[in-house]
Amino acid sequence: MAESDFDPITFAVLKNALDTIVDDMAYAVMRTARSPIVRDVLDYSVTICDRHGRILSQAKTVALHLGAVPDAMDVVMQRFGSGLSPGDVIILNDPYAGGMHLPDIFMFKPVFFRGDLCGYTVVIAHHCDVGGRVPGSNASDSTEIFQEGLRLPPMKLFRGGQRDENVFSIIEANVRLPELVLGDLEAQLATCTLGERDLLKLFDRYGQAELEGYFNRLIDYGEALTRKAIASWPDGSYSFTDYIDGDGFSQDPIPIRCTLTVKGDHLYADFSGSSPQVRGAINSTFSFVKSSTYLTIRCALDQDVPNNAGVYRCITVTAPEGSILNPRMPAPVAARALTGYRIVDTVMGALAQIVPDRVMAAGEGGNTVVAIGGYQGEERQPFILVDMINGAWGGRANQDGIEGVTNPSQNMSNLPVETLESRYPIRVESYGLRDDSGGAGQFRGGLGLTRSYRLLADEAVLQLRADRTEHPPYGLFGGLPGAPSRNYIAEPGGELKPLPGKATLRITAGTLIRHDQAGGGGYGPVESREVERIRADLADGKISEASARALYGVTQ
Amino acid sequence: MADSVRIGVDVGGTFTDFVLLAGDGSTFTLKLPSTPEDPGRAVIDGVATLLERASVGPRAVSEVLHGTTVGSNTLLQKAGAKCGLITTAGFRDVLEIGRVRTPNMFDLTWKKPEPLVPRRWRLEVRERIAADGSVLETLDVQDAIEAGRVLVGQGIQSVAICFLNSYVNPAHERAAADALSHTFPDLSVTASIDVLPSMGEYERCSTTVVNAYVVPALRGYLARLEAGLRKIGIEAPLLIGNSNGGLSTAAAAQAKPVFFISSGRASGAVGAARLGASIGIPDLIAFDMGGTTASATMVRGGDVGRTHEYEFRDGISTPSRFIKAGGYMMRVPTVDVAEVGSGAGSIAALDEGGLLRVGPRSAGAVPGPACYGLGGSHATVTDANVALGLLPTRLGGGALELDREASVAAISEHVAVPSGLSVDSAAQGIRDVVNANMARAIRAVTVERGLDPRDFLLVAFGGSGPVHACDVAATLGMKRVLFPAAPGVFTAAGMLAGRLEHQFLRPVGMHLDRLALEVLGSIRRDMEAEARNAFGAEGRVSAAIDFAFSLEMRFQGQEASLPVPLPANLERDLLRERFLEIYRETYGYVSRDRIEVVSIRLAATLAEGQILDFATLRPAVATVSPETLRRRAYLGREAGWMDVPVRSRNALTVIMPGPFIVEGDDCTIVVPVGAEARPDAAGNLFVTLP
Repeated sequence: MAESDFDPITFAVLKNALDTIVDDMAYAVMRTARSPIVRDVLDYSVTICDRHGRILSQAKTVALHLGAVPDAMDVVMQRFGSGLSPGDVIILNDPYAGGMHLPDIFMFKPVFFRGDLCGYTVVIAHHCDVGGRVPGSNASDSTEIFQEGLRLPPMKLFRGGQRDENVFSIIEANVRLPELVLGDLEAQLATCTLGERDLLKLFDRYGQAELEGYFNRLIDYGEALTRKAIASWPDGSYSFTDYIDGDGFSQDPIPIRCTLTVKGDHLYADFSGSSPQVRGAINSTFSFVKSSTYLTIRCALDQDVPNNAGVYRCITVTAPEGSILNPRMPAPVAARALTGYRIVDTVMGALAQIVPDRVMAAGEGGNTVVAIGGYQGEERQPFILVDMINGAWGGRANQDGIEGVTNPSQNMSNLPVETLESRYPIRVESYGLRDDSGGAGQFRGGLGLTRSYRLLADEAVLQLRADRTEHPPYGLFGGLPGAPSRNYIAEPGGELKPLPGKATLRITAGTLIRHDQAGGGGYGPVESREVERIRADLADGKISEASARALYGVTQ
Repeated sequence: MADSVRIGVDVGGTFTDFVLLAGDGSTFTLKLPSTPEDPGRAVIDGVATLLERASVGPRAVSEVLHGTTVGSNTLLQKAGAKCGLITTAGFRDVLEIGRVRTPNMFDLTWKKPEPLVPRRWRLEVRERIAADGSVLETLDVQDAIEAGRVLVGQGIQSVAICFLNSYVNPAHERAAADALSHTFPDLSVTASIDVLPSMGEYERCSTTVVNAYVVPALRGYLARLEAGLRKIGIEAPLLIGNSNGGLSTAAAAQAKPVFFISSGRASGAVGAARLGASIGIPDLIAFDMGGTTASATMVRGGDVGRTHEYEFRDGISTPSRFIKAGGYMMRVPTVDVAEVGSGAGSIAALDEGGLLRVGPRSAGAVPGPACYGLGGSHATVTDANVALGLLPTRLGGGALELDREASVAAISEHVAVPSGLSVDSAAQGIRDVVNANMARAIRAVTVERGLDPRDFLLVAFGGSGPVHACDVAATLGMKRVLFPAAPGVFTAAGMLAGRLEHQFLRPVGMHLDRLALEVLGSIRRDMEAEARNAFGAEGRVSAAIDFAFSLEMRFQGQEASLPVPLPANLERDLLRERFLEIYRETYGYVSRDRIEVVSIRLAATLAEGQILDFATLRPAVATVSPETLRRRAYLGREAGWMDVPVRSRNALTVIMPGPFIVEGDDCTIVVPVGAEARPDAAGNLFVTLP
């Protein structure tokens, strides 16, 4: 657009109008969804793209999903090209064709203004089950994608406004809880349509030419702010390695290595040196690796940088083919979120060498997934709880880490105990901060959480995905690591016994499962911690007297 | 009661505003400096003065309607009670963990708000109720008393109790609360089921804790105020404006102050919507600027923006429907207000980096701005307005003499000299900064939601709003500004336009196809009786009441529900139809799934009694006329110093071009160069900006 046509107030209104559309869309998903993993835990994401598939605005939802949208958009545009019509709706979940892991079903609605394609509304939701060998479809111990559930390559769910009943019936026949899955698909659909309506209102008001002029300007603006930030960082290469405990089969540590290279106003992130692809289901699609990298770097930028395609232009990500970060078919990927968290930690470790005051020491290492599925009652009604335990942040340059907080790579919530108990044959027996778990430092890490579940149904399959048991969250600049995570089980009437970090097992009525989450790492030298902070932690029972004495030499 | 009068009183951080509405529709207004150490003192003084002016006795008063910032100030200044919390064993950290979300993505600098009850004062007792209401582990009341003893020993004044699943079976909470109240008569006790009997342990716990935190402050304040009113012979009930813009009894406010945190400013917003309706303007922004804060509320299609959840936080509070994370969660019905901590009393100073900052520190009513001559030496926004000749040298109908020299000296010392600017330039700078802050509140409810503020009328009120409104509007490109009659006391007038209400909620929890309609009918009758009793207990036996029932309905499996107005004849198909219609309108589709009826709601409103009607309002006659008909005033960097006409409010009868200044005894309106002002018969002034 010509400079003379540019109006700063319209620019601000439009930027916020796009943010409002995605915010309203995100709200609509929450209000209309059926499964607790979507409506309470908020494991879903919302974005809108322009007609070139470029992200214009992201709702404050799961950052890990959002950066993977460009690759998925590419697949959709390649697959359907100009064959899209008004009223079409596309879905996909195939990790080898634009998806991330099977439970995340992407939905795209192309938006047409006066007959021409003008953009896409996009909703990604984590479905509570997509079939496969275990309830919840999220096991870390599968060995092939074919065990993980129903694979949906990009396909039309609606054609010109007409439902494709074939697709619906295939989905219905392949999942354990069709009511919830179809209900959540309905929520995605309604949301895509609401977003379409609101986006078209903007086109109506401003016209295509003016609006797209501002879209370009918005993306350029995102790029310019990002380039300015990167240009202010010292040129050079910075490497960091972090580890995943194991893939559920082997206890061998799995390295994730990242080298960040700052070259003028461009940033390169290369993952050479990371583990080859593994047998268990923690391999990550390359799209997800990019997403994890983008979001971590975004955390080191100022808040006013818009979250759009402009940011991605300044970052080039590479990962060797056949590695855990760029696996070959048919590698299993269901539990790949864990690998995403570790990518975030690794990139953060490299960033700490570039912008030490803009990072935090490692947090809890990603949420812990507790999935319990089975059948309840006389009628053998199926149930699947997919619960995610969040979390703790590491210490920061001028303040302690946070306890009871989502991993920064997401923006998830927790499942209220009362909601959980009203819907599942499960009782939560404790939910609290885990004392003494924050890594010591001038600014200590946040405390991990602890949560325990007792099964009330006759029997169920438990899938547990935790990490940071062997490789606790790192500290920075003299701060100590957080406490490692622990899992426990008590059979009915039995003692509490340890469980491995990743486990799939059958449990019976009365069994208690407890997860103690890892605490965040500390930041800065332990001896620099102010005595008042230590005393306050002692009074609140966040550290024990023994720890205060041993770590800081402070007594009450 | 033909001769009865109603009095509206709004206490702000700096001024306390009064409006008296007489039986014939005439009004009397008054503005007094607030008395923050005991806000009730100004209230009593003002009511007495107003009765004298209106020549009516205290027995003629039928209601005193009151908006108070005691609740919000207590939270804002973290000046609440030393609080304890008692929970089910294993769950004392629910309050601190919250819902784990962050208000912004990608922000590693976020500081999570400190819980109102620190962990050391959160105690656990053994007890457990299951999700179906059955008792898994019986509470030993002695344990609760023991916990109370520990807390009282620590100097705790107020205790919140929140047990898991108490919303299904309140027995344990009730027993613990009764035992604590009995054993420790001086301790305030709030049980979660008395505040928010609904599912969701964090939201219920947080709402309960906020209540416990502000209870002692509000209870003490209202008790003193009621006693004071009795002392001057007023027997009429004291009604308090709630966060939803309605009115409730003082007893309700003392028991559940969490419903009154936004008291006052919610009434202003509701008043603005009623004013808009009276002049046929359904889309507007209510802009209220007082001494310590400024707020903006969107009114669209005549409806005031409302929300069922509210988070109180520092700095700008920008409600988003989607994100919860920023502050202290209250699940109570609230007018959706964006607020910034800047007002006329905000103190201006240069920060270490040489940047001019205005607020959030405020000089308040005492010592007040430098020009008050009450010992304040800081330069405030009011000092800038006085130095620039925008404000007269007497305020509040002559109640307060202003010292312009003191303003100039303060600005010179704190801003002009350190920054090397002239006093004029420094004063204008203070105005520019505070105007930008005001604009943020308006942006929060317009631009940040993708709405263009230029499509809306700005309704400006509050003691300081009218001095700034036109400049603030210009910042956002808005062209139309409306100043109501007596804008300085508009919030108090807004309360006079409200009616007494009671809200009721009963769980239903049935599928629509299984719902026994006769049971629903009997619940409806019970609730009507409950409402009549509630009004009866307030001395309104056999009063005319408007009953508005609605059902909260949703599709099976959803968490959120939609309110569906309950038709007079209860037919299943009709209910289904109504729900599907509303659902489709909201979300653009309907499901084929089963429909659940979650709960039934009743809003009961008193239908009788005289309320203020903005259309027939007879504005008060100004008691002061300007000493001079012209004055030197600085109207921005372009216009500079000008010789500006000064008019009294009731002297304006025809369209008049700017610049000019309107002086009333409640506030001053500045109409800038190039603008045009049109008065109407009800005392409103419409300004069109160039």
